[in-house]
Amino acid sequence: MQDTPTRKIILHLLVIVAMFYVLTPFFWVASVSFMQDNEAVQMHWIPRKPTLENYRMFFTQEGRSAEVGKAAARQIPRAILNSLLIATFVMTINLFFGSMAAYSLARVRFRGSLLLLFLYLGSRSVPGVAIMVPMYLVIRSYGLLDTHLAVILAQSTFTLPFTIWILKGYFQTVPIDLERAARMDGCTRLGALFRVFLPVTAPGMIGIGIFSFITSWGDFLYPLLFTSTIHAMPVTVLISDFTQELQVSFTIIAAAGVLVILLPIVLAFILQRFIVHGIGGSVTG
Amino acid sequence: MARIVLKNITKNFGGVSAVDDISLETAQNEFLTLLGPSGCGKSTTLNIIAGLESTSSGRVWFDEDDVTELPPERRDVAMVFQTYALYPHMRVRENIAFGLRMRKTPPHEVERRVRNAAKKMLIGPLLDRKPRELSGGERQRVALARAIVRNPRLFLLDEPLSNLDAKLRDSMRTELKRLHGELKKTFIYVTHDQAESLVMSDRIAVLNGGKIQQLGTPDEIYNQPANAFVAGFVGAPPMNLFDGTLRNSGEGRWEMIGNGFVCELGTQTSGRLRADTPAEIQLGIRPEDIEVGMDGAPTASPTGLVREPMGSDLFLTLELNGSTFKARTSPTDRFVPGDRIPVQFRPDKLHLFERTTGRSLMDSPKI
Repeated sequence: MQDTPTRKIILHLLVIVAMFYVLTPFFWVASVSFMQDNEAVQMHWIPRKPTLENYRMFFTQEGRSAEVGKAAARQIPRAILNSLLIATFVMTINLFFGSMAAYSLARVRFRGSLLLLFLYLGSRSVPGVAIMVPMYLVIRSYGLLDTHLAVILAQSTFTLPFTIWILKGYFQTVPIDLERAARMDGCTRLGALFRVFLPVTAPGMIGIGIFSFITSWGDFLYPLLFTSTIHAMPVTVLISDFTQELQVSFTIIAAAGVLVILLPIVLAFILQRFIVHGIGGSVTG
Repeated sequence: MARIVLKNITKNFGGVSAVDDISLETAQNEFLTLLGPSGCGKSTTLNIIAGLESTSSGRVWFDEDDVTELPPERRDVAMVFQTYALYPHMRVRENIAFGLRMRKTPPHEVERRVRNAAKKMLIGPLLDRKPRELSGGERQRVALARAIVRNPRLFLLDEPLSNLDAKLRDSMRTELKRLHGELKKTFIYVTHDQAESLVMSDRIAVLNGGKIQQLGTPDEIYNQPANAFVAGFVGAPPMNLFDGTLRNSGEGRWEMIGNGFVCELGTQTSGRLRADTPAEIQLGIRPEDIEVGMDGAPTASPTGLVREPMGSDLFLTLELNGSTFKARTSPTDRFVPGDRIPVQFRPDKLHLFERTTGRSLMDSPKI
């Protein structure tokens, strides 16, 4: 299609609208996190008297922590550790099992491979809420309630099909001649996989790894269902605990929200090249 | 140095035979080309020799060794791919050295051999670049350097020049011939480009439908095609083919009656006719064996359709009773489309084929 000025303007407008739609809630949360409590409920966009008081309580546990969310605030470091642990495991499971499954689907011809692929996709189309009860019963029957493993398993169930689909498509863009050349150069099949195929696909693997990490980091529903104490509770669930105190402090929730999204945002910024490569790219050139 | 022997090789994919009972033997240090159209089984045959593809039946021998069950990494073979298949995450130096490293060659020896190979392929200054920073021709040179650095016993080349532009292809052809002369190794080369095969090969195996149609020197393939397929595939433009009837015109003379022409077979042609020659045949004649606008009695007077000047030659597309054929003539000839052009088929340059099977009816070509 021709890149006419009108088309350019329309595209830019659409991008601006999309950005506005996506970024406005983040902007509002960040803005509220610097407000006083009474300001937050007045629907201001910009804080009139910006304050760091809301953040201070997470680090010093003084000041406002005496009033609200004291218990939850004390548990924030542990909850972040839980989130890190869970997200790292989910990412590792996605990369390990996802890459092996995707490699088989991309390279090995076997009966039923297409059916398998559609089953993966089908399982992804079931909303998480729909299978909450059976999932809960299974996890309970194995005695895994309030453990990291419960959350890791549940989140892997939802992220793996997507990972397999994306990686399969990505792997198919790797010319098979590369592995063949490696075989001719003296590699075994496994050697060709580790010395040539995986290094070549590293950008895509990193991209999909970050994607599964962020998905796990931001998940709320299943951690809420499976965890009840700080033993395994990730930070997303803990933040919601602020509302269970005597009064609801939007400013403290907002500050906690900002702290929680910082890590994924930093990760996404540093590794954005890989994310684009992994989810929409190919290995050529 | 390796003599490659394929014995009754068959490869089936599902119910389809990609390679159908092929037997073949190379000479020491031969440049053998597998030539054929897409899907004829030439690349599958090459992959079987490389060990990248297993056989459904048949054996592969390198000299005295049966390598049929050996994986590619243990066959000591180098392969150059159409897509070059350079490792994109490695620099040129690492690409060339990769095979040596896999074989645990000492580092100083690796460095020396990489430098030698790079020098031979004129890519010395490119050693620290990544493949994506190279042009197509440079990538091809790196791929060749990667192949020669290991000093393997056999070189396999799978359409290595197909992705290059015409000018570069010409110079790389010469380069490959030079390399073959220098290395004194067996080269098996796959291509669908008949001109390439004629220029480069010691012998050519023409494949179609998974079977070898003819195995011979370029001269044999061109001048004594074993069947109508080979005749029609080799040569640019290819051989003209006409249906007709063979008739004995007495005193050991034969003539062929076609649609709109009658031509007498020369003594050399009729002398090579097989005893079991049927009457209904197909006649083949190459464009350069058709004399155009001569003084004597013409074989036919077709109508000129298209002029294609090619510098040193002029190709004419002619039409005779609804069928078209091509003739080569001098670019100084001034025929214009629409002219009736007298032509004569050179009597001793005719090829006769069985109409049903396409098999040559003339003695001598080897199959």
